[in-house]
Amino acid sequence: MDFFERQDKARRHTAFLVFYFVVAIVLMIGSIYLVVATLTGAFESRDTSDETTTSVSQPEVFLVTAFGTLGIIGAGSFFKTLSLARGGRAVAELLDGRLVNPNSTDAHERKLLNVVEEMAIASGVPVPQVYVMDGEPGINAFAAGHSASDAAISVTRGAMTMLTRDELQGVIAHEFSHLLNGDMKLNLRLMGLIFGILCLTVIGRILVRARGKNAWPAILVGLALIIVGWVGVLFGRLIQAAVSRQREFLADASAVQFTRNPSGLAGALKKIGGISEGSQLRSHRAEEASHFFFANGLKSGFFGFATHPPLIERIRALDPSFDGKYPSVVLPDTPVEVAPPPLPSVSPLVPPPQPPLMPTATPPPLPVLPPPLPAAAVSIAQQAIVEDIGRPRPEHLQYAVDLHQAASASIKTAARDPLGAHALVCAFLLAEDPSLREKQLQELGRTTSDAVRDETRRMWPQVQQIPDQGRIPLVDVALPALRRLSPQQFEQFRLSVNTLMSSDNQSNLFDFMMQKIVMRHLDTRFYPERRPVTQFYDLRPLARDAGIVLSATAYAGTEDVTKAKAAFVKGAELLSRIAREEIPWLPPTECELAHLDAALDRFAQSVPQIKKNVLSACAGTVAFDNAIQPREAEILRAVADSLDCPIPPFLQS
Amino acid sequence: MLTLSCGFIVLVAVVLVVFIVAGYNSLVTLRNRYKNAYSQIDVQLKRRYDLIPNLVETAKGYLAHERGTLEAVIAARNAAVTANTRAAQNPGDSSAMKEISSAETALSGVMGRLFALAESYPDLKANTTMLSLMEELTSTENKVSFARQAYNDSVMAYNTRREVFPTNLIAGPFNFGPAELFVIDKPEQKDAPKVSF
Repeated sequence: MDFFERQDKARRHTAFLVFYFVVAIVLMIGSIYLVVATLTGAFESRDTSDETTTSVSQPEVFLVTAFGTLGIIGAGSFFKTLSLARGGRAVAELLDGRLVNPNSTDAHERKLLNVVEEMAIASGVPVPQVYVMDGEPGINAFAAGHSASDAAISVTRGAMTMLTRDELQGVIAHEFSHLLNGDMKLNLRLMGLIFGILCLTVIGRILVRARGKNAWPAILVGLALIIVGWVGVLFGRLIQAAVSRQREFLADASAVQFTRNPSGLAGALKKIGGISEGSQLRSHRAEEASHFFFANGLKSGFFGFATHPPLIERIRALDPSFDGKYPSVVLPDTPVEVAPPPLPSVSPLVPPPQPPLMPTATPPPLPVLPPPLPAAAVSIAQQAIVEDIGRPRPEHLQYAVDLHQAASASIKTAARDPLGAHALVCAFLLAEDPSLREKQLQELGRTTSDAVRDETRRMWPQVQQIPDQGRIPLVDVALPALRRLSPQQFEQFRLSVNTLMSSDNQSNLFDFMMQKIVMRHLDTRFYPERRPVTQFYDLRPLARDAGIVLSATAYAGTEDVTKAKAAFVKGAELLSRIAREEIPWLPPTECELAHLDAALDRFAQSVPQIKKNVLSACAGTVAFDNAIQPREAEILRAVADSLDCPIPPFLQS
Repeated sequence: MLTLSCGFIVLVAVVLVVFIVAGYNSLVTLRNRYKNAYSQIDVQLKRRYDLIPNLVETAKGYLAHERGTLEAVIAARNAAVTANTRAAQNPGDSSAMKEISSAETALSGVMGRLFALAESYPDLKANTTMLSLMEELTSTENKVSFARQAYNDSVMAYNTRREVFPTNLIAGPFNFGPAELFVIDKPEQKDAPKVSF
């Protein structure tokens, strides 16, 4: 099952879910109606002694209860879904998560952040926001969000402090598989619907407290609402559990595939069994979100309602020799991961003896990327590219770890700071030509502030040395810091990126795709309402867009027009067969960056299978000469990113 | 009739609950946002406080006759460290924010004086350690001001939401107090001490 099939499956699951909920709601309306009808029937028959009204069929009553119930559930779900539109952070904040500062120097937080960053680089997704639930001593974690760009990963304090690096890596890999399997969107929908049903009980509780002479019918209706609402919640929990349990096994399996280290994940699960808090959560809001978690967050585990398979089954799946005895948990030594000093001259509070640590006067030559792609081409089978989407392997993780460690500390610290990240992206977009660059910097100072201009100027020499394949990972690392800009600062950021793009006449496809990645992922943060909706189920209406994407990719690969044409044909043939329609070859003037932008946006609104076909065709075009240049590879990754199909970094074969 | 009035009660209850929950949640979100924004300032301020002793130590050898300024820098830095610890524990709190604002203003003032002094000592200016420390400090200061802007923006958003109708009806009963801005008065150029030659 590849990435696209899993996405499709998640979408089908959503359809099932809605069906089950409709059934649950119909049943609830029916039972509320029965209660109300009996009540009013009894009431009126006593008042008027009229025999006819005691019959159960009272259309007026039915209409009122049906619309009332639907209205309440609908309003509740709508409201919850709306408040969840902000993505993963909405859930994380609901459960009292604290946003961890990307530049934190606390050893535990640093460990957590590094593990998450490495994992994100390996899967080719932006680094999610990381939260810690300080009030939770147990071991648990969750990932939430609509897509990779608004995802948040949240771990309990217990998980952060008690797990070793390997165990934490297993847990985070599990969460990333949810992220890549498309489970998170499903989970958010589920949360919204369940909340709607929960509303009934809340209103019931209010009605029960009604006071006054004629209040007793209200009290009775309230009681009925509580009972019926409770039945609904049970229904919801049942569905929640059914959907969640099988996906947990899948996520465990993917996590092991990802890290090739079953002992890490198994160790984490064993520790959950070994401590008294287990994986239980204290927050009373944990109920609505219980299906998000790494392990059972609630006490009630009776059969059918547990959102997760039994701990022991999960451990046995990873470690068949497990004897069922949980180890007593020993706290690992605190400095599991020595925080890299963020600055060359971090000194103790007392002034240090002379001479102080030498800070970097000139940026040191970057010891960038130990496994650099050779300048010569890498040959990658196009099939492998598409297969790798959303399914990173241990080699990718190793690559990411090496990349992460090799990147210079000053660049990393800058990328994790809002101003530094702002300057970093601007520096990526600066022109090579010195006079043009100076003009761009002046312009930058005018549109934003002197601070941004100075930082950009300062970073330029370092940024220039970053090879192509190091740029997208760095941008991914910078995204959490950029999400912390205030809305006003984000407007300035957008303005400055636009200015830089338009002032550089020779801005190339690579720069364009870089800024597209950044802006796309940030837009979901600052304008949650702009999320794309699936609109295209067939490739035919997108034939021209496919032509634009393939032609642009072909032109980016080579200067020679005949070669470009040949590369295009290679990709287009594949697509034409599927689309049963000609994919047009376009002259450069008709596939400029603006056209490409629109075309990619349309593809982003298509079903997974179309995305897969287009990406295969792109890969075919890029791999036309059986050699993929690093820059081509990164363009391909960026195109895939804009379609929400993360390709792991390319490895030297 | 009875069912209709029941329906009406239910409807009013729904609207009320949704309204209260939505208002409360929005206030909590905005409060979390400015608290998080402060932690960004905190990181950069701490880095700055770590850099200053290094700078003073480097400058000491060259500025033997300016002990007063150096001591003033260290004193201002220590005061700022204390104030920041307090503010980081309770960002937005009126007295803590005023304290850190004035401590930072004072520190910026003496640092400006130190930089101005350094101008007149060519040997010190040529010292590479000094140069890179000053560079690092300037950059950190830029980051502080950027983070401060983000913090102030989010405090403004919170305070506005707190004061406008209808959330102001919720802010009182649920005890959402006003948050304080973090302002640093720029030492004016003309106030920079005259360097005697």
